Amino acid sequence: MSPFPFDTLLVANRGEIALRIIRTAKRLGLRTVLVAHTDDAGSPAAAAADEVLAIGGRTGVAAYLDAEQIIAAARRSGAGAIHPGYGFLSENAAFARAIAEAGMAFVGPTPEAIDLMGDKVRARAFVARHGFPVAPSAIEDDDPATFVERAHALGAPLLVKPSAGGGGKGMRIVRDMALLEREIAQARSEGERYFGDGRLYVERFVEQPRHIEVQVLGDAHGTVVHLGERECSVQRRFQKIVEETPSPALSPAQRAQICETAAGIARAAGYRNAGTVEFIFGGGAFYFLEMNTRLQVEHPVTEMVTGIDLVEAQLRVAAGEPLGFRQADIGSRGHSIELRLYAESPSRGFTPTTGRVLALRLPEGDGVRVDAGIARGQRVTTAFDPMLAKLIVHGADRADAIAKARRALADFALLGCETNAAFLDRLMADPDFASAAVHTGWIDAHPDLAAEPELDPRTRLALAAVAALSTRAIRDAADAVPRLHASIGGWRN
Amino acid sequence: MRHAFSIGDTEIEVWLARDGTGYRLSGDAGSARVDLVPAGDGAFSLVVDGLVRPVLVAIDGEDLYVHLNGQTHALRHLDPTRRFADAESAGGGDVARAPMPGTVVRVDVAAGQAVVTGAPLVVIESMKLETTIRAWHDGVVAALHVVQGQSFDRDAPLVTVTAGG
Repeated sequence: MSPFPFDTLLVANRGEIALRIIRTAKRLGLRTVLVAHTDDAGSPAAAAADEVLAIGGRTGVAAYLDAEQIIAAARRSGAGAIHPGYGFLSENAAFARAIAEAGMAFVGPTPEAIDLMGDKVRARAFVARHGFPVAPSAIEDDDPATFVERAHALGAPLLVKPSAGGGGKGMRIVRDMALLEREIAQARSEGERYFGDGRLYVERFVEQPRHIEVQVLGDAHGTVVHLGERECSVQRRFQKIVEETPSPALSPAQRAQICETAAGIARAAGYRNAGTVEFIFGGGAFYFLEMNTRLQVEHPVTEMVTGIDLVEAQLRVAAGEPLGFRQADIGSRGHSIELRLYAESPSRGFTPTTGRVLALRLPEGDGVRVDAGIARGQRVTTAFDPMLAKLIVHGADRADAIAKARRALADFALLGCETNAAFLDRLMADPDFASAAVHTGWIDAHPDLAAEPELDPRTRLALAAVAALSTRAIRDAADAVPRLHASIGGWRN
Repeated sequence: MRHAFSIGDTEIEVWLARDGTGYRLSGDAGSARVDLVPAGDGAFSLVVDGLVRPVLVAIDGEDLYVHLNGQTHALRHLDPTRRFADAESAGGGDVARAPMPGTVVRVDVAAGQAVVTGAPLVVIESMKLETTIRAWHDGVVAALHVVQGQSFDRDAPLVTVTAGG
């Protein structure tokens, strides 16, 4: 008999996260139903689910975004709850509402919390109103007459942005306040040129910022706790590649402060279920960036150090149960790192790669966890996100975790599609990473990390040998040649 | 006949002959006594001048994937006849190939249609960015290799435009 008010969980996602959710749900005695597009019919998640229901759409992505179809599938299968995973419909308040109206439980926060945090301007104003730190800013529209004065009061360095802007156009960094008015004039003229709108705002510019986020969990009974932070500063094109916990950048006092701030924001929002509060950290200060109202891709590093299964906690909260632990019960042991394996070519500007998984060997061992949604024979296409798998390690300390990550990477083999595995190993071996001297612009500032290093002569020779010996035409031709070498091979040795 | 493989941006030529119980490899990468002994399930023992190392090998058409010393390398067998043909047509360039994998958003022309330089031919989408492939010379659309909605790999032919018409 299940302790849950529902006995069947529908998983509205695909890939590694669908498999990861199914595993925990099964361990808790729940029946699992997966919705799957044709492209995913042979996925490991589909093999693991108790039931698979086909969903269709113009594209695979469209199928997983089709709330109506998914809720109909849930009804048909007798599901009492829907877990949205991450991406797709996970932060769609209308989806959460429709599920509640259909009499099922949405494994996530309330639609109101999704709405509040989904609107970045509203979220920022909400956080500031409750006395939590946001980047100091001055908005021209608030009072145009005092704009320059208010900007001056913020102090350097500043970022001047067109209100209507986007894509970095018209943005100017001001480090010398004597130049402020000149930069404002130029930003205004650029804003008018690009967007037909010269209104501006300025905010504190954080030099070489780090991305630090805090996992929070709340239940329907008013308890909100944090599960420590994750640092995700290693990014390319605003996409995370490496995540770790604890952050090597924080002092114990800063850690306590940032984690308490995150829990405070969640409490103020009456937040329930799992969420993540993201901050920009630099120069000893941190500012609220945004809150993600779902399970994060990088949640496993938190699970590795706390021993708490976040999907289990999500399901219990969705079932109306109290969390069952308090802040003081949550510990953190050792260091964990997650590496995201992508089907992409770092040396060609991180463009996606395609192929078929011809051979797959996943690392295993103590302190090594692999969350993968791929299997041998599966095609890797550009139809979905290029993330193939996540490699998560747990070590006694950071150096131990890095060493484990490198061993796990060496044991990982995916043949048939180019991946970023060698690039990840270069990151793990880099002295900047070892000393934790990274920031969100680190990879862009070091194009040498993405470049394919020249092969050493021994590897070149070995690869040439494998290539020649495993190509039928070459081997057959060699075997057909009169055995001149064979006859002298004995004494040549 | 010599055979060539590409590894990244470089090409290596190899030549193989029997040498006792194994083989003699020569070419750009150097010379050595080599052998590749199957160990089951895609695994092999690679022998280079007496040194034995485990490798994983997978082959898909012209593409060859080798996992060696903890790293996976992608190689491509350059077919001797095609290599020659590519060299012949170098500069001619009648076929537009995909710069990266993606999906066809729209096809703006039909086979047999005359086009002028700059005319939109095919719109593709990769990494959420739309790119219009335009006619790079005046001519006739000799072949459309893709249809709307189709996904393609890097280097896949998209459209052939022959000069003149």
